[in-house]
Amino acid sequence: MKSKHLSIIAKKEFRGLINERTILLAVLLQLFIALFSSFLMVGLTSMYDPSSLSKYSRFKYNIAYAGNDSEVYDYLWNSPDFRVYKMDLSTGVAALEQRKLSAVIYMPDTAPDSADPVKITLYTLQNDLQSAIVDVKLKEIFLKYETDLRVIRADRITEQPIPLRIPKTEGGGDFYEFVYGLLIPLLVFMPAIIASALIIDLITEEYQHDTLETLVSTPVTFTEMVWGKVLACEVLVPVQAGVWLALLMINGIAIENAGLILVQVSVTSLILILLGALAALHYRERTAAQFIFSTALVVVMLFALAIPDNPLNLLTRLAVGTAGMEQWVVLGTTLVIVLGLGFVMHRYAEKVGRTHKSG
Amino acid sequence: MGALRDIATIAKWEVKKTFTMMGRNVLPIAIVLFFLLILATGFTAQSGMHLQDGMYLVGTDDPAIAQLIASDPRFTVYEVTSPAHESGDISLDLTIFKGQVYYRETEKGRAALRTLERNYGKYVNRVYNTAEDLFAAYPLWIDTRNVKSELDFLATQSGQYVSVAPARGAAPVPVGEVAQIPTPSPELGVTMEEIRAELVQSGAKDTQISRYTDVLSSGSSTMGSFKTPAQLSPPLPFDSIILIFVFVFPLYFTSQFFMMSIMNERIERKGEILLSTPVKTSSIIIGKMLPYFIGMVAICAGLTFWIGASPIIMLPLIPVIIFFLANALIIGMVSRSFKELSFISIFFSTVATSYLFFPSIFANVHIISLVSPLTLIVFTLQGTAWTLTDYLYSTSLFWLTGAVLFYIAAKNFKEERLFSEKSLVSRMREFLSEVIPEKRPFLSLFLITGFSIPFIFMVQLMCLVLFFNLPMPYSLILLLMFAALVEEIAKGVGIYTLYVRDPEFFSTRNLLFACAATALGFLIGEKLLLFVTLAQITESVFGSILFLSIGALWLPLLLHFVCVLIVATCLKYGGRKWFVPGLGIAMVVHCLYNLYFILGWLG
Repeated sequence: MKSKHLSIIAKKEFRGLINERTILLAVLLQLFIALFSSFLMVGLTSMYDPSSLSKYSRFKYNIAYAGNDSEVYDYLWNSPDFRVYKMDLSTGVAALEQRKLSAVIYMPDTAPDSADPVKITLYTLQNDLQSAIVDVKLKEIFLKYETDLRVIRADRITEQPIPLRIPKTEGGGDFYEFVYGLLIPLLVFMPAIIASALIIDLITEEYQHDTLETLVSTPVTFTEMVWGKVLACEVLVPVQAGVWLALLMINGIAIENAGLILVQVSVTSLILILLGALAALHYRERTAAQFIFSTALVVVMLFALAIPDNPLNLLTRLAVGTAGMEQWVVLGTTLVIVLGLGFVMHRYAEKVGRTHKSG
Repeated sequence: MGALRDIATIAKWEVKKTFTMMGRNVLPIAIVLFFLLILATGFTAQSGMHLQDGMYLVGTDDPAIAQLIASDPRFTVYEVTSPAHESGDISLDLTIFKGQVYYRETEKGRAALRTLERNYGKYVNRVYNTAEDLFAAYPLWIDTRNVKSELDFLATQSGQYVSVAPARGAAPVPVGEVAQIPTPSPELGVTMEEIRAELVQSGAKDTQISRYTDVLSSGSSTMGSFKTPAQLSPPLPFDSIILIFVFVFPLYFTSQFFMMSIMNERIERKGEILLSTPVKTSSIIIGKMLPYFIGMVAICAGLTFWIGASPIIMLPLIPVIIFFLANALIIGMVSRSFKELSFISIFFSTVATSYLFFPSIFANVHIISLVSPLTLIVFTLQGTAWTLTDYLYSTSLFWLTGAVLFYIAAKNFKEERLFSEKSLVSRMREFLSEVIPEKRPFLSLFLITGFSIPFIFMVQLMCLVLFFNLPMPYSLILLLMFAALVEEIAKGVGIYTLYVRDPEFFSTRNLLFACAATALGFLIGEKLLLFVTLAQITESVFGSILFLSIGALWLPLLLHFVCVLIVATCLKYGGRKWFVPGLGIAMVVHCLYNLYFILGWLG
């Protein structure tokens, strides 16, 4: 196997990709998803953690309080988020319908130490952004009241949980887990999936466009040709993943160990690329090869995710900076699998190549 | 009748071809893989998804607490002896000392605290569920009643708040008649044991998988609208991501086969025989598509049955299926090589998936979510009813774009288009050119622009979703520019196609006529679609920029005319390379118009 031949093949594939400008689509795709991920950050935070938006927190919501007196009324009165009015239930609901109120609360005539539970009826507006925010703010008050009631009824509770005092935060941290635990591993791993789909296209194309004979008649051997294509796909992975990481960092998401992440992705993606190459060599036809490969991909991914310390998990840990020595064990194991698959693929390509030479 | 028989024959061929091709050595491996898939799913369900393991580091002095926390694999727990979280050489996100939690002032520290808080809440619930006296452990229940407002959401959507708060002391007084609301009964109406069963059931679902699968089990709650305070908050349907994978992924997968089948006809001119038969092209296309359509519907029906959901969710899925197939057809017809096919199809599926997925996140919060048909599925699974208007609103764009794409494909499904090897952009231009007959160029310009409206709306709605949450001035400015640009491109495309085909065609008279036809087509298409479906969004500030819905009709017509004229004039005197600058100028004019007439910022 000559490295010169490999690079010739790899260059040829790159030229093809650039000529068709399909690589532009891949870049566009990345930008698009990056745009959406930043949208997710801003959008979701403002929708589900409304206090993070100053324009919502400076606003006071009007609440009607009907029925019996209770601590809830005092809590509402003292809350900076609400203006509470004692009103008749029917008048309150009518005002709510005309959007003069944000919610109506009805407190029943149940004693705090009664054997029965206290059932508060809460009227809110349907399908309304504001009422979602009001719900979140009211929840805090109801939780406070629930704690009060639990204290009053404490002697009736037989088993108490281990006490844990959790400090209050000023919000934030909501999407950390989503970004680092889902978005980053998926985004960084996507180039690997694209590359493995690409290798199938590159190999089956030679068969289906009958360009194989021309290629085999050159000094480049069949095996070298396959490895050259693998090389072309493999080079794309760290480049694309690197662009991802850069985009995420520009978006203000700090990523630790970016270099190690790229190493990890590059090695792991080789497994997928080699599997793709094997499928393509075996079927020599795109539909079948892609079908079998994608199904196999789902199986492999599901299986890998079920194992602790899998490569995807390692990406997360590297990104948040909690990966320890075990990362080298994972890397080593992945390398062993890559070498094994590479050997199998090499042998298979040699066998296929011999039949082409003779045929 | 003849057409129907042709369709059936071609559909049969298609199925047979696929199976003989796949049958030889794919089927055995596919069956093996399928069993492996079931095994892997089972294995994953058993051991959980280990994607987020070891994200957070926690130190504690209490072994009991350590055991409690370590039950979530996201935490790695260490023993510490001092409360200072700087202790040791590992930077801990949380330290727990004598029952008090300390956290590091970082985003990660806060995220760890959130997760801990949530886990602790679940643990507390588990303990209280076993309590003898359930009403002592859960003393407070909230019964939520939704009230439908007489004023619709438009008020809040266009930036107004619920109401202007009166000064403290004066309670707001409703106008007009006050309907009597019956006093709610103080009783829950369910027994303690029923509640316990429900609590235990919802508490048991705290494996990692269930974080994602809750949405799939349509609620069979016995408790109706009662909730404990802890359950009261808008549910964050990140879970709807699972819907994408469960419903959209198989669709994407199947449409790949369709794409490939079209592509295969083109490789080596295999499809020539089919085209030489006296069968109509529309019958060929429908016949080739039918097996895939039936397959997709069957898959969706199977999935629906499997998750035990109401069959109503098939209704919003069918336009999505048609949309996928129409796009697969076009992609299969335009791509030159497998690589191109892969990239375009991945690109398409990502964009389509985002369009479907992102709005549905807001399913419980905001009406904008109805842009996506998936929201209707989320609603159905939640047991929320939706109306015919909602259905039209969220699916009409899918129906329309699907139909337009099919028409274009049918027009172009012939030898000289299928077997040429040109670049993507020029192929697309040729495709459009085919739809403009020589004889009636103005009528077809009018129709093309009219039918481009659904695509424009799709792109613009996507921008709306995207920019909706940026800070106010930026979102408006970006939306303004994008909306104008998208519209100008859509109007310019027809003219450009005509120009490239025959530059001589554009005499001054023809130029004016062409622009007038385009402008008129755009205006009528826009108003028609608005009238049918989009009235809901158009009244807000965002909507008025997108759809120019106010003012006399002649003003927008004039605007459209002037903008197209700018582009066409640039083309006529500058040639093809002046197309993009022309678009730029038209966009600026369009933006200025919007600013002046809609927002009144210049006036």
